[in-house]
Amino acid sequence: MSIIEVCDIVKKYPSFELKNASFGIEGGEITGFIGRNGAGKTTTIKTMLNLIHLDGGKVSYFGKNLTDNEVEIKKRIGYSTGTLSWYPRKKIKDIAGAIKPFYESWDEESYRKYLNMFGLDEMKMPVELSEGMKVKFNLLIALSHRAEVLILDEPTSGLDPFSRNELLDVFEELKKQGVAVFFSTHIISDIEKCADTIVYISKGNIVAALSKNDFVKSYSKKGESLEDTILRMESEGGATYA
Amino acid sequence: MRNILKKEMFLTASVVTYVFILFGLMFFLPGYPILCGAFFSALGIFKSFESAREANDIVFSALLPIAKKDVVKGKYYFVCTIEVSSLFLMMLAMILRMTLLSDSTVYRNNVMMNANLFALGAAFIIFGLFNWIFVMGFFKTAYKYGKPFVIFIIVAFLSIGVFEALHHIPGFEGLNAFGCDNIILQLSMLIVGLLIYILMTILSCKKACEYFERIDL
Repeated sequence: MSIIEVCDIVKKYPSFELKNASFGIEGGEITGFIGRNGAGKTTTIKTMLNLIHLDGGKVSYFGKNLTDNEVEIKKRIGYSTGTLSWYPRKKIKDIAGAIKPFYESWDEESYRKYLNMFGLDEMKMPVELSEGMKVKFNLLIALSHRAEVLILDEPTSGLDPFSRNELLDVFEELKKQGVAVFFSTHIISDIEKCADTIVYISKGNIVAALSKNDFVKSYSKKGESLEDTILRMESEGGATYA
Repeated sequence: MRNILKKEMFLTASVVTYVFILFGLMFFLPGYPILCGAFFSALGIFKSFESAREANDIVFSALLPIAKKDVVKGKYYFVCTIEVSSLFLMMLAMILRMTLLSDSTVYRNNVMMNANLFALGAAFIIFGLFNWIFVMGFFKTAYKYGKPFVIFIIVAFLSIGVFEALHHIPGFEGLNAFGCDNIILQLSMLIVGLLIYILMTILSCKKACEYFERIDL
């Protein structure tokens, strides 16, 4: 059974609709969630975090419905975004100190370990961090409470190629430790580099949710790279493949 | 719940909120509408809502492993903590003005409202109005705080005006009692104010939880 199951979720806005999105995420795997800007990635992620209400469908983690087991599930997952930063003028140490009591699973040793691994100075404030370091700070918090799943919204957007590469290496490292990583991006090379599974969304439709190999087998033409394939699919309407 | 209150106090709150608690001491001022002290303390709380929005505090809190309604309750606990702290200072000033300073000429000649139990009851009502109009209003969107605060300013100053004017109306002079004069009336007014505060806070908190459950973040 998948560690996360997204079943037929529907979210309607006046100018956009997420249409019966379904996919599963396996434990200890990296899943890349690809789609162009405005395709519905953030909406999907927000439904997966219960930040917005569903007009249909359901999201389950570890075999349990999210809406009925929200508190328990949130203790086991971590979230990060490349576009939002929390408490920009508070020290990392103070933010971590305020979060810590919410998690029985908080592991001070892991906190110190990842603090060193990510090269973060806990006396710094988020406003003093680069975009890449902000993502690492969010990862630090998630990993310190031993999150089994990381849901990351555009963690690589706005990062230079070096920082992106470094972050993708961190994902690989986390995968080795059994953490499931689900990250959205519009940068296809990120997916190409480290994803085991690809979930491709276009105009609110999940076009494909397959392992990278199966995705290539199903959609790539001879001699096409993954980037060429997705660009071609998108230019041909994307959602028509759904 | 202790954790979310701690988070509100040490992470989210603006320093201004704590400093503005001191406006409770305006209960010492003669010749000044002392209920403005409650308004300024409420203004201090407003500053924390302002800094909370800048820090994306609501989404951050909603992502914590707590029920969504606990995000709202956490804010209410924080707001009430500040209000009660300010009321405590008002009470200290009131006790001094009702005892040691009750015969002080400067207070006896004060044309404005006297700092007595009725004034403290009125301060409870001002804070109740803040919780009802501003805090509940904020949670309709969990984003827009300007409109509910402007409405609170209007209602608060109208209320202050009414409370200040009351004792000048024939038959209501007893509300401006010095020391322990008209103590039953004073005490009744305090209890009424306290009950209105409790009622407005509990009901607005329930309603704010409902609003917050409904909105998309």
